[in-house]
Amino acid sequence: MNKRQVVLESISALLIMLFLYASISKFLDFQRFTGEMNNQPLPKSWTPFLVWTVPSLEIAISVALIFERTRMVGFITSLALMTLFTVYAAAILLHFFAYVPCSCGGVIRKLTWPQHLVFNLFFVGLSVMGIILQRRSSSKSIFITKNSFV
Amino acid sequence: MKKIKLSIMTLAIALSIGGAFATSPRVTQTCQGATQYYFNGSGYVLAGKMGVDYLCTTSSNICTYYKVGSTYVPCMNGSYCTANCKTDTKPPKTQN
Repeated sequence: MNKRQVVLESISALLIMLFLYASISKFLDFQRFTGEMNNQPLPKSWTPFLVWTVPSLEIAISVALIFERTRMVGFITSLALMTLFTVYAAAILLHFFAYVPCSCGGVIRKLTWPQHLVFNLFFVGLSVMGIILQRRSSSKSIFITKNSFV
Repeated sequence: MKKIKLSIMTLAIALSIGGAFATSPRVTQTCQGATQYYFNGSGYVLAGKMGVDYLCTTSSNICTYYKVGSTYVPCMNGSYCTANCKTDTKPPKTQN
């Protein structure tokens, strides 16, 4: 296991921990999560869709990151979701919405909005790093496979 | 190599599932599971359902309280709001 692979595995593990923890926490207290989603300055009609889509997507990303074959899809989806969360946190901080909702309860939820932004940016960075390293290691393994046939 | 990979993944999954259960409100007994009240200036009134009947917008005030025995203990930080919720974008004016 070379250095790049160790880094790649560690990045995957960190993202799996984030998404799996977040999704299970939401499902464990679904009622509170629904209330907090309603507390967000988004249309209330989105809530029934978002409360199921967000945690389900987080679990799907975690599963995709576990397996080598689906890892790239996992990194790309993780980058997309984390970018979306980051843009939302930035929009909240820039007073883009009528009000700033409280960030209350839970462990990650105890963070303030600026802390949320920094936290999200860190995981956006990890996802980007994961995509770059995964692409390099994939092209390297293709090169090795091609050469082994020559 | 596969053993190391398997150990890292197993540890990550175990930590996230364990962490989620350990910090779940059923275990930590957070106040949010209790009936919420708000202070209307003269007394404590039932707040209703968060996100449906009221919102807690960000501020250093206390949004809701919960009852422990006969006393009301602060639960959620923020401002209690029921309609046309807005957060001030300008800092408060200071008097010279």
